[in-house]
Amino acid sequence: MITIELYGVPRMRAGRDAIAVEAGCLGDALAALGRECPVLAPSVVDGQRLQPCYVVAINGIQFTADANHPLRDGDAIVLLSADAGG
Amino acid sequence: MRGGFFGEYLRVDLGTGKASRVAIDPAIARRFIGGVGLGAWLLHHETPRGFDPLGAEAAVIFAFGPLLGTPLTTSAKYALVAKSPLTGRIGDALSSSRFAVMAKRMGVDAIVITGCASRPSILLLDEDGASLEDASDLWGHGLPVSEAAGALASRFPRYAFAVIGPAGEHLVRYAGVANEGRHAGRGGLGAVFGAKRLKAIGVRGDRRVPLADAAKTIALSKALAKRSLGPATEKYRELGTVGNLAAFNRLAALPTRNFQDSTFEGAADVSGEVLHATRRKGRGSCINCTIGCEHFFEVAPGEAPVKAEYENVFALGPLCGIRDPEVVLRASRHCDELGLDTISAGGTIAFAMECAERGLFDGTVFEADARGLGFGDGARLLTLLDDIAFRRGALADLLAEGSRSAAARLGPPAPDFAPHVKGLEIPGYEPRALQSMALGFSVGSRGADHNRSGAYEADFSGKVDRFQVSAESARSAIGTEDRAAMLDSLILCKFLRGTLVDFFGESAEMLAAVTGFDCDADELRRAAQRIVLLKRLFNEREGWTVAEDTLPERFFTQSLTKGSADGAVISRAGLARSIAAYYEARGLRPDGTVPAETLSANQLEPL
Repeated sequence: MITIELYGVPRMRAGRDAIAVEAGCLGDALAALGRECPVLAPSVVDGQRLQPCYVVAINGIQFTADANHPLRDGDAIVLLSADAGG
Repeated sequence: MRGGFFGEYLRVDLGTGKASRVAIDPAIARRFIGGVGLGAWLLHHETPRGFDPLGAEAAVIFAFGPLLGTPLTTSAKYALVAKSPLTGRIGDALSSSRFAVMAKRMGVDAIVITGCASRPSILLLDEDGASLEDASDLWGHGLPVSEAAGALASRFPRYAFAVIGPAGEHLVRYAGVANEGRHAGRGGLGAVFGAKRLKAIGVRGDRRVPLADAAKTIALSKALAKRSLGPATEKYRELGTVGNLAAFNRLAALPTRNFQDSTFEGAADVSGEVLHATRRKGRGSCINCTIGCEHFFEVAPGEAPVKAEYENVFALGPLCGIRDPEVVLRASRHCDELGLDTISAGGTIAFAMECAERGLFDGTVFEADARGLGFGDGARLLTLLDDIAFRRGALADLLAEGSRSAAARLGPPAPDFAPHVKGLEIPGYEPRALQSMALGFSVGSRGADHNRSGAYEADFSGKVDRFQVSAESARSAIGTEDRAAMLDSLILCKFLRGTLVDFFGESAEMLAAVTGFDCDADELRRAAQRIVLLKRLFNEREGWTVAEDTLPERFFTQSLTKGSADGAVISRAGLARSIAAYYEARGLRPDGTVPAETLSANQLEPL
């Protein structure tokens, strides 16, 4: 099971902090997110693709936009705004 | 110059009360653009080497951008430039709204204020000249900024004002300048006002800013406004910058308890998401802005709501170990009303909290004031903010000088963990967890700064290992510094950056439409580099040495211990290599100074 943690606007729109999905790679997980939370498609996820104004960090460590990035059971995908300006 | 500029600046001597208009060479306007670039050039030319930032020789400069007064969204801004009394280096801070528009419409591109008034004064400026009005009813009475602004608006209803609070009057070295609820906050430029006995400056003008190509400017304005409502700015519109807090905490990049930790157990309580769900009261924007990033939150029932940003919530919350949102929001309002920079206030108090917990005040003249001080004490935070603004008591007087100065007074080991670069307290980006940003902080001419360097973009991109400094860090530091220098000189809001696909090309198109300059992306890229170098050059003139381009010792010797940043520490050698790469790419000598050939290549004069 993969956990997708939502921060910022995606969390507010989805009305939830996280969602659990079955996926073997990042693209599959994002597609599952769009199906489970239609309110995030296409503004946050568009099929297997993340919109450019968002990024993900696998387990809060490794940032990647590679849809083929392999995931292991128990991984967490941290989804947040790409713009960290404060 | 066919548009965008009036070709003159106003020079005001507070000692004599006289003002004169001085022509600006069109070549200088084109080379330094406006805003921070023009302000830095004027600072070079209007001050002598080695001047006291709180002395009569000091100049404080309002500099306007060529886009100000046009319909281009977010352009209603001004740059305030002076030698920072906190850092002793260049200080530039931006603010926005009506004051900026009214000031430029006097028909000037900048206002240079020198000298010192003989008594607390209000400087009134309009197209006819300058006058100094008595400010004795506003000075020394502890009036909150909003009350002083209200009194000024009643007395001089046709003027727009920038004003200082009690912190500026008491020369707190991180006092800001406020206008219309906004703040030119960083670097203590409010203390420069205070030293000049300048309580406020009022401006009034109604000259239209000329446009070289009005039709093109309007078309570009409409297109930019439309893009500013797109996905690249939705974070700012829907949640505001406070949305950073929970995400940064998850990434172990949230400075906590004076940078001892990078995750905070109370982060959820003060996160943007929770504040929105429980306390949101409304949204606002600067004038002529289509983004609207300002979000207001309830402090307590019956009280006026407070505008909260990531930086003030981080600095007055997690950095001080405080998780009570009411305290954090109240502290934020305290800073605004006292005229204190929230980042430096929070950073300096967090430093004091750590000193107290480590017993460093014991046996000193500060011991009585510091007794019981520690992280998480919201009541003491609020009291200390007041005491600092009025310099009440030995501890508050010490802290009013900033964390670098306080640490030097206390002696070892305090300087190792005073949270500053060049004297400017570090904003809410943990350097050990965002190591490209660590480089950006180190080399910044203003000190530790998230608005003049966006090197964190590399850390959040996946292009680098964010737990190491690298060659990409230097590229990101330079690229984002150049973009910031251009945005701060044109001036446009940084929150637009994601909407500009070809940043320098689109900026050149806007500048050309407004001014008539036959400019292109390459010219603006070179101008941005020139402005960054000019700021370094000013610092060099004022005594900067390479030893200042570094971080506090803590970041090299104390590893983070929690979350995804567990074990993260900055390699001293790695940062040194990255700084060397930055210097080389900027055309600097290995010691960071600017050689003659780089001056010449960038059309800069020796100082």
